[in-house]
Amino acid sequence: MPDTDLKKELQLDEAEKLLPLVLEIIPGHAAEGLIDIYEPGSYAAKSLRKLCEKTLNKKNLSIEEQLIVEDIKRQLDGGKLLSRGQEIEGTALEYAVSEQTEAGEKYLYVPIRAIKPQEGGGISD
Amino acid sequence: MKQLFDSGIELVVESDFIYFPLLFDPDIKKEIQTVFYSRKDVGNPDASDSKAVIKLKGKYFVKGFRLDSLVNNYEAINPNSYQRLKNECLRHYHLTREIDGVLLDGTLRTILFQVMPHFIKKSKDLNRKTLSDEAILDLIGKKTNIPESYYQEARTFSDIAPLKKILKNIENQTPVLDLPGSGMMSGHKLRDWLRNAVHVKVLSDEYDRITKSLKMREQFSRMKPEHIATLLYIADTGFLEIDGFGFIRKNAYRNEYYVYKRSGDYILKDYYGRSYLFPNCRVTVSTYMPFRPFVMEKYKHPFLLKYKSGQEICIKNFNPPDEPTDKCIINTLEEGLTALQYGYDPRKRNGYHSLDKLWIHIPTIDFEDYII
Repeated sequence: MPDTDLKKELQLDEAEKLLPLVLEIIPGHAAEGLIDIYEPGSYAAKSLRKLCEKTLNKKNLSIEEQLIVEDIKRQLDGGKLLSRGQEIEGTALEYAVSEQTEAGEKYLYVPIRAIKPQEGGGISD
Repeated sequence: MKQLFDSGIELVVESDFIYFPLLFDPDIKKEIQTVFYSRKDVGNPDASDSKAVIKLKGKYFVKGFRLDSLVNNYEAINPNSYQRLKNECLRHYHLTREIDGVLLDGTLRTILFQVMPHFIKKSKDLNRKTLSDEAILDLIGKKTNIPESYYQEARTFSDIAPLKKILKNIENQTPVLDLPGSGMMSGHKLRDWLRNAVHVKVLSDEYDRITKSLKMREQFSRMKPEHIATLLYIADTGFLEIDGFGFIRKNAYRNEYYVYKRSGDYILKDYYGRSYLFPNCRVTVSTYMPFRPFVMEKYKHPFLLKYKSGQEICIKNFNPPDEPTDKCIINTLEEGLTALQYGYDPRKRNGYHSLDKLWIHIPTIDFEDYII
């Protein structure tokens, strides 16, 4: 979803709030990130930031996932977690959109980008 | 000569010489009679020993030139036609510099197999895995509309037997130029023979390159035809774009590319909290110096000095890499995208221009048309 939807209220009905949550933390402008799945009831009371921390501290990662985590941590060194163009705050449900797998299973999806700010405007070296 | 070959009139090949129809008038008739009576084989004018004039099926033909000398000197005789035939031959055997260069080009391999996977969605499922080169080529094939003709070409490309045969003939120094048999034949037939003969000569002249190409083809012949088709398509067009990531060949000779990632539309806010919708643009880096991010199209932004195309994005503390490795290309594109989308601070009004108009009059770029 483009960042232009930043202002748009994400409307989820009550049934959708009971779906599993797929959290994806993407390093920089990469296409894919680290995925974590939260079962219904396990995420609603927690802040999105807490969920991100939990995801980033996951153990038993594959080699590919470990590389993604390294990239994310490199971005977060002085960087921040952004979702839909703004710094994350509040719960995951505030940022979630409903999606479905190819098999037709519905889930809530929250994409988060780890971005290391790059201040422009100075004369580059 | 071209007109003669194109006209379709009957010509004669005799003892590796080409004979042209003799124009006939009373004076020429007299001359012919002199020629024929002076010969020993006067009673058998059809018997030929590379004579100046021969008679075949009641028609007279005058001696022209040796066919092999025509082939050997064709470049000087008809440079344009030779160049056309040469190009045709090299294309037929996929020996054009572009294709050889592109398929062996390390920069392109870096872009395709190291940089591109970072910026494109590899699958719809939730597993994250590194793709092999073959899987990346499959993905490109799925996401790109490659014309059928490239699949046909791929089959020709992977058939290395004809090239091997030519190379073997050259190595054995056996004559690779088959002269046509003696007798009468149409200009069209001779034109086709000349075309093939020039092709053989071109291939002989290009021995080194054929050897190199053959080695490369042997590696590629183990690939799936669909993958070869994808690579031939990229070699031919010098362009590819998937999921907003793409590259354009800038200079085939030096294997230079513009690698880009589209920003998509994005919003920046000014000092007063007003939102400005910035249009999609291609943040680009060249694989040839300087390795700094720039915006390909005509574009305006606080970090771009003017409103024009090809402007370098002004970034603080950016140290351009020394060589275009995969990590450097990825990093440069990321820095450029981050600067455009997240680098503007409305309180500091950093950059060349402020989004909101300043009280003090400073001639600058106007962004009011982007306000939403």
